[in-house]
Formats: sequence, C-alpha cells, structure tokens
Amino acid sequence: MTELAAPGLAPSMRSGRRFTSQTSALLLMLPPALVLFTLFVALPLFDAAYYSLFKWDGYGTPTDFIGLDNFKQALGHAVFWQAVRNTLIVLAVSVFVQLPVALGLALLIYEKTPANTLFRLIFFLPFILAEVASGLIWSFVFDGNTGVAAALFHALGMEPVFILADRHWAFAAITLVIVWKYFGFHMMIYIAALQGVPKEMLEAARLEGGGRWAIVRHVQVPMIASAIGVSVFFSIVGSLQLFDVVIPLTNGGPSNSTHTIVTYLYTFGLTRTRIGFGSAVGVMLFVTAVAVAVLYQRQISKGGRS
Amino acid sequence: MANVELSSINKTFGAVETIPNLTLSIPHGSFTVLVGPSGCGKSTLLRMVAGLESPTKGSIAIGNRDVTHEEPSKRGISMVFQSYALFPHMTVEQNIDFGLRLAKVPQAEREARVAAAAEVLHLKPLLKRKPAALSGGQRQRVAIGRSIVRNPEVFLFDEPLSNLDAALRTQMRVELADLHKRLNATMIYVTHDQVEAMTLADQIVVMNAGRIEQVGSPMELYDTPNTLFVATFIGSPRMNLISGQSAKAEGATTIGIRPEHIAVDDANGIWSGRLRFAEHLGNETIAYVESDVGEIIIRLAGHHGLKEGTLRMTPDRLHLHRFDENGRRISAVN
Repeated sequence: MTELAAPGLAPSMRSGRRFTSQTSALLLMLPPALVLFTLFVALPLFDAAYYSLFKWDGYGTPTDFIGLDNFKQALGHAVFWQAVRNTLIVLAVSVFVQLPVALGLALLIYEKTPANTLFRLIFFLPFILAEVASGLIWSFVFDGNTGVAAALFHALGMEPVFILADRHWAFAAITLVIVWKYFGFHMMIYIAALQGVPKEMLEAARLEGGGRWAIVRHVQVPMIASAIGVSVFFSIVGSLQLFDVVIPLTNGGPSNSTHTIVTYLYTFGLTRTRIGFGSAVGVMLFVTAVAVAVLYQRQISKGGRS
Repeated sequence: MANVELSSINKTFGAVETIPNLTLSIPHGSFTVLVGPSGCGKSTLLRMVAGLESPTKGSIAIGNRDVTHEEPSKRGISMVFQSYALFPHMTVEQNIDFGLRLAKVPQAEREARVAAAAEVLHLKPLLKRKPAALSGGQRQRVAIGRSIVRNPEVFLFDEPLSNLDAALRTQMRVELADLHKRLNATMIYVTHDQVEAMTLADQIVVMNAGRIEQVGSPMELYDTPNTLFVATFIGSPRMNLISGQSAKAEGATTIGIRPEHIAVDDANGIWSGRLRFAEHLGNETIAYVESDVGEIIIRLAGHHGLKEGTLRMTPDRLHLHRFDENGRRISAVN
C-alpha cells in the first residue's frame, strides 16, 4: 500500500516543497532590493511629485498648495523652452553626429592590433575624465585671451572671439565638447559589438563580391543593430540628463542661452530655492525619460520577436 | 576549363611556416578532397585558393588565369564555410540572393536563379525564414544555395559537414556527390574525416605538416599508400603496423597490414595473441588483439563468436605493405 501511495503523493509533496523554497527565496532576496529602490528611487519621486504642487522654498513643511501652477510657470517661461530646444539639439547632435563618428572610428580600429589598442585608449581618454574637469579644460581652450581658440584666431589674423560668452557660438561649443567627451564611450560599445561579428561572415560577404562599404552596410551594421540601439538609448538619456559639462563651461549663460533642462532645473529651482518649481521641472523630465525608456523597450521586444 | 594550379606555394604566419613548398594540380571537374589532421595546412591552402589569405611565395591559377593577387570575388569561386556564415538578419532568400544583389544582376534573373537553386536544394518552403529558424542541415543547404547561384567555376568547401550529426552528415554527403555530378564543376573540399574523403573524392590530397604526403584516387591511397602516414590516416580501423623481426623478415623496417587482411586461423596461424575486446557491429566484427607482434586490429565479415583468450592469426601476404626506415613505401609484396 505504501509503495502504491507514494508515487501519488510525491508530486504534491514536491510542489509543496518547491513552493516553500521559492517563497523563502523571495522573502530573503527581494526585501533588500525593494527597500533600496523604495528609499532612493520611488520615495524621492513621489516626494518630488508632491512638492511640485506647492510653492515651497525647501524649508519647513510645504503648505502653500498651488496645484499645477509650477508646471504652468515653467511652460510659460521662455528660458525653459530655450533649455528644451538646447536639450533637443544636444540629442540630435549626439545621435546624428556623435554616434556616426563613433561608429566610423570603431570600424577603423575594431580589429585587434597594437596601433588600434593605442588609438582606442586615446579616443577613450575624454570619457574617463571627470565632466567638471573636461568643462574646465575646454573653458581654457575657448578662452579669448589665453586659450587655443585665441591663438587660432590670431594665427588667422582675426580678432579673437570669446566663444563661450557669445550667444551664437556658446552652445555650439558645448555640443563640440559633448561629442568629444562621449564619442569614445559609444565607440567602445561598437568595438565590442564589431569584434563579436564572426570573421567568417565578413569573409563570406567579401567572397560574394562585397566591398568595404557593402560589408559595413549589409553585414556589420545590421549585425550590431542591438548595440547601436543601446548606444542610441544611452545617448538620448544622457542628453536629457546633461548638466555637469555645461556648468563649468557657461553656467547656462550668456543670458541663459545655453541651459539644458537639468541646468535650468538647477538654476531656477535649486539655486533660487524654489524647490516646488524645480520639482515640477524634474517631474516633466522624469516623465519624458520614462516615455523614452518605454519606447526603447517596445522597440527591443519588437526586434526580439522578428 | 576550371582547373586549379598551385605552384611552389609557401605560407608563413610571422615566424611560423605553415606550408613550406607545395605544388598541386586540381583537374577541371574533379572533386578534390584535402585531408589531413588539424593544423596540417589544408584550410590555409583552401583559403589561399579563395583569396582570403595570400601566399607568401608562389602562384595560384584558376582556369589558366593567374589569380594570385586577385580579389576573392573576381576569382570565379564560391565557398561554403564550416559555420555556414549565413547572415542572421537576412531571410534564406536574401542570403542566397546576396551576391547577385551586390553584382547588380537584374531582378528577374536574380529571382529565377534563386528559385532554381531553391528547387535543387529543396529550400522553396524555407525562403522567407531566417537562419535561426532552420535546422543544421537546412542551414547547410542555404550555404550551398548561396554558393551555386553565382555559377562559380570552382566550389570550395571548408569542413562543411563537421557541425552536423552522423545521420545528417551521411545524407549531406550523398547530396553533395549528387550536386557535383549535376553541376560538373571543380570542387575542392577540406576535411579531417577520412570517411568523407574516401566517399566523396575522385582525387584525395593527403596533407601532413604543410606538405603533401600523397595525391591519388581513394582506392590508390587505400591500396598503395606511399608513406606510413597515409597508410595509417586512410582506412578505418587503421592499418596495423608491425616492426621488429617480422618486418625484417620481409625486408622492411615496418610492415603494414589492413585489419581485413588478417584471418583468424586457430590451427595454422603464424601470430598468436590474446583477444582483448571484440566489437560486434552486425555486418562485421572488429577484434582488438594483444599479439606477439604488437597490438593488432582484425576486421572479420559478419558475426563471429570470438571468445576471449588466445587466438592465432595469419596475415594475407599479398596485401602486406612494406616501409623503409623513413616511412616510405618500398614496393608491393608479390
């Protein structure tokens, strides 16, 4: 009897045991992550959303409830729209200039040779530098009295321009620094991906009559499409978050013409102790970032399915 | 005429000389198999014919045209890789069509050629699929399809069956032999599997350490191996090699006898030994014997109830192979 009963009992006992082990694993492993996420991500977000509804200077408890006024103020502020425009310019330059430059260089130096290793290191150096340090270095370069730019203008027999103090040139200079600073990072992503493309694929394409450009277009780029997707995503999120290169270069000036959304938030929210207003800008930025992330995820899962 | 002539080929990679000096003639329409152990230079040789590697010295001619410095795509060759090298982001159709598209062949002709290749290789229902959705054998066929649509003069195969399971490998061997018959093109095939070499080739090139050991038809290599290396490399189970007194008595340093040329003869056998193990394969029995002349493998036709213990054997003297101290064939024993 026992022998007959045992096989019938075994599965339910086994699943019971599995259930308890799964539950205990959940109970043990989930709380630390959940606590950290709640403390450092979820709560501040809810706080910001809450503060954005108040006129509040950051001291004491927010009591002056003003509904969506902070949002209205931001949306009615010309500098906010200038910051949005600048952020979009950074985004466009990142995606349409920086990434092609990074991809082009990656294609030139992805193969493992001593010279390529040296070039990779050189191109990656700007990314290793702290953002503030890069900003400072370039502010010296752009200096109209003592910088490299001044020397160049002199050499060309022109009157030096204080690039970072010029409304027409300052933001272009910032985008140049951004491309310089981050292309190495994207280049490394592409190099890693290109090295993962089997050599035989390239040889097969060559045998089929593919020249250098045809191989890049029909084989290498499609085969690193997911890496390009990741790089575009980083680039968009990075553009939305851009802050610490701008502050040492122009601090948002001249005449608030070089703000990005985050430097705008910092300048008009934090430094002017308008925490409620800053929170409202933060909430708008967060919603945009989430929208980008969701779109990206959708794109990825679509790619995975096909 | 798509004969392939390799003249005084030398290939070095840095300080390593992979192929010291090699000359080989591959006749038009032949199925030539380059066979040898890993690292013998056979794949390097194939890649040089393809143009994926350049010879350090020497020249390569295809159809009497010197192609030593010619681009791979201009050599009139196509190649099937061990990993098939199919483009994962393209459908089967796009993979097969790839070379034609690059060559800007008119759309209608491209479609007709892809359809014809798909027909021959039974790929029609798979044309819209991506390689990831295909089995190993189907991928192999797509790689061959990509190869045949361009109507090359010479087909190159780099161990194309080594990723397939045993049953599929046998099937694909038959299909490749069929394809060769149908296309009547020159085919050069690299493998380390001597069974593939024996079954497919009309010319086998046995390579060892960058040198050609012997060139000949499968039966020539089997019946009259020029060197000890060929003698042991071709044939499975391998040829028995015996040195010492028995070899000296035949005027050789080493004598060789194939497993099927030894008879078990308990009454009059000249060698005696102890049966270690017998493999009963149904159609034949392979016996491993520890004998007074060394380790001996015997192949007997059909079922044999060999018992463990002592047995006596007699080699068929008509099929003895004699080799000198350098491992070179002396002459056939008559």
